[in-house]
Amino acid sequence: MFDALINGLLLVLQWKAFSLMMVGMGLGFVVGLLPGIGGAATLALMLPFIFKMSPAEAFAFLLGMHSVAATTGDITSILFGVPGEAISAATVVDGYPMAKNGEAGRALGAALMSSLVGALIGALVLALAIPIVRPLVLSFGSPELLMLALMGIACITSLSGLGARGQIRGFAMGFLGLLLSTIGQERQSGALRFDMGLMYLWDGLDLVPVLVGIFAIPEIIDLAVRGTAIAGERQPENLQAGVVEGIKDTFRHFWLVVRCSAVGVFIGILPGAGGGVAQWVAYAHAVQSAKDAKDRERFGKGDIRGVLGPGAANNSKEGGELIPTVAFGVPGGGAMGILLGGFLIMGLTPGPDMLTKHLALTFSMVWTLAIANIITVLLCLALLGHLAKLTYIRGGLIIPFVLFLVFVGSYTANGQIADLIVTFIFGSLGYLMVLFGWPRPPFVLGFVLGKLVETYLFISVSRYGFSWLSHPVVLVLIFLTGLVIAYPFIQERRSRKREGVGAT
Amino acid sequence: MQLKLRSLFSLSLMVVAAYAAITAWRWSFKTSLFPLATGIPLFVLAAAQLILELFGRDETTSGPAVELELSTHVDPALARTRVAGILTWIAGFILLVFLVGFPIAVPVFIFSFLMLQSRVGWGPSLSLTAVAWLCFYGLFQWLLNLPFEEGFIQSLLGI
Repeated sequence: MFDALINGLLLVLQWKAFSLMMVGMGLGFVVGLLPGIGGAATLALMLPFIFKMSPAEAFAFLLGMHSVAATTGDITSILFGVPGEAISAATVVDGYPMAKNGEAGRALGAALMSSLVGALIGALVLALAIPIVRPLVLSFGSPELLMLALMGIACITSLSGLGARGQIRGFAMGFLGLLLSTIGQERQSGALRFDMGLMYLWDGLDLVPVLVGIFAIPEIIDLAVRGTAIAGERQPENLQAGVVEGIKDTFRHFWLVVRCSAVGVFIGILPGAGGGVAQWVAYAHAVQSAKDAKDRERFGKGDIRGVLGPGAANNSKEGGELIPTVAFGVPGGGAMGILLGGFLIMGLTPGPDMLTKHLALTFSMVWTLAIANIITVLLCLALLGHLAKLTYIRGGLIIPFVLFLVFVGSYTANGQIADLIVTFIFGSLGYLMVLFGWPRPPFVLGFVLGKLVETYLFISVSRYGFSWLSHPVVLVLIFLTGLVIAYPFIQERRSRKREGVGAT
Repeated sequence: MQLKLRSLFSLSLMVVAAYAAITAWRWSFKTSLFPLATGIPLFVLAAAQLILELFGRDETTSGPAVELELSTHVDPALARTRVAGILTWIAGFILLVFLVGFPIAVPVFIFSFLMLQSRVGWGPSLSLTAVAWLCFYGLFQWLLNLPFEEGFIQSLLGI
């Protein structure tokens, strides 16, 4: 085992593998910064280039690129309020307000450091967990996965504002996201739903134009309305001090970062859940760990914990996703599905062989995740000063560039003008949602999870009727979901009681 | 006015949910299960929100959502004009892409926006447009090799 660990490291440190990892990281860095063009799409684009590489070189190249894209995706989320990656949308919620408050350096420092901690935890868990998680993953059937997805939506919804009306709006948005995910061909029967006679909608609405539109356009509109720089009229912050403060924040809230990393790993392990879900659930956990209702109100306005949680989960889930991919050949997410193609190109079969015959190669993946993230974070920290200065450039100069990147990113989803129209429609919808106080995160999570939830619901009902509701794990998850929904009310009540006691 | 617009949003959600549920009702069990399971609760929740907005007390217990907060320091009339302005620019960009394709639309849009909207001088507008153009060609077309369709006008003229 120890020999394999060292051999894995030596495989990555060979000059050719290391150089290819650096090339992959360079590509991942740029792709992560560009809104809409996901790490998964880039993995697919780069797959043909690995044919002449050895397995260690190929995985150093692909994983180096993929893990870096997740880290740099947070940078555009914080600086411009535009998710660089579909999986870095949750960072926008608190990261962008921090940039607007003149704390871009601090937010970036925190996001990068928490990403590094998350990635290292993910890599460590990957190294340790394969024999442990196997029975857990195999014990989760469709009913359990369905309840887990619903619990994820409930987590986000519970953050949609205090009081009953906040909850109503949150759940309504979650259901709207789920409903819109049904557009297009139904997977089981192939019947078309809500396609409005448009061939474009046969495959359903693509995640990228919807997500980029709903998050980027409202921020761009607001920037145009303000007519100032992103950071307003504030004097430029001491960037270096801000970055150092952000790094310190990671260690001030270290247990939160560790817990959110654990959330990322766990969701990464579950097949199909994906990084977007991990980030939102980690964000929800960060908010729910607030001391009281007043403390909770700071989220969404630029609370550093809202940056640390998603940042950590975003990168730790990479290690988590690799576990079922390597050990069982079941991809943990879309990008891992493409990576699985890499295994096949290399003539490798994921499964027991990867844990015995090719154990050194498996460990080389762990090392790639760790080394690539360390190098990226160090590089980013060196460049952060220049990046954060972008928030002090006049909005009028930034807007056309951001719009150009947003629409090119959306266009890459299907290569159709309709992608741009979808971005515009969802951008306008997003603006109205913000204007009237309807939260966007539950909508996004509902939309992301919609197809999965439908498949799990269909399999659960077809196979078990309604008796799936009595499965022990399902019952536990129902109880936890109820608790998640009730928690804001309990917290509000406690806070009122405390205030009452304080007043007397 | 704000309340009426707010209520109109809730009403629109009810209409969308009702349309989805009524349409799905005619489909087979497999096809309709999920749209009904999501459309009906959405209708109920939107209706509850609408009733509370119209007849309920003011929202006092509700704290802010974990969300972006729009700027409030700009005069509402000016803010409305700016919103309409930026939406027109976005719609114009999409139209331009449709007509001439990305490779031409990107520099034209960036240059016009900088000159007409941001009121930047010729020199900086031209240099920033050149940067955007280089970024577009160098990164998206040369390095990432992404395919961009030609515009409607080019395909009409057979260029």
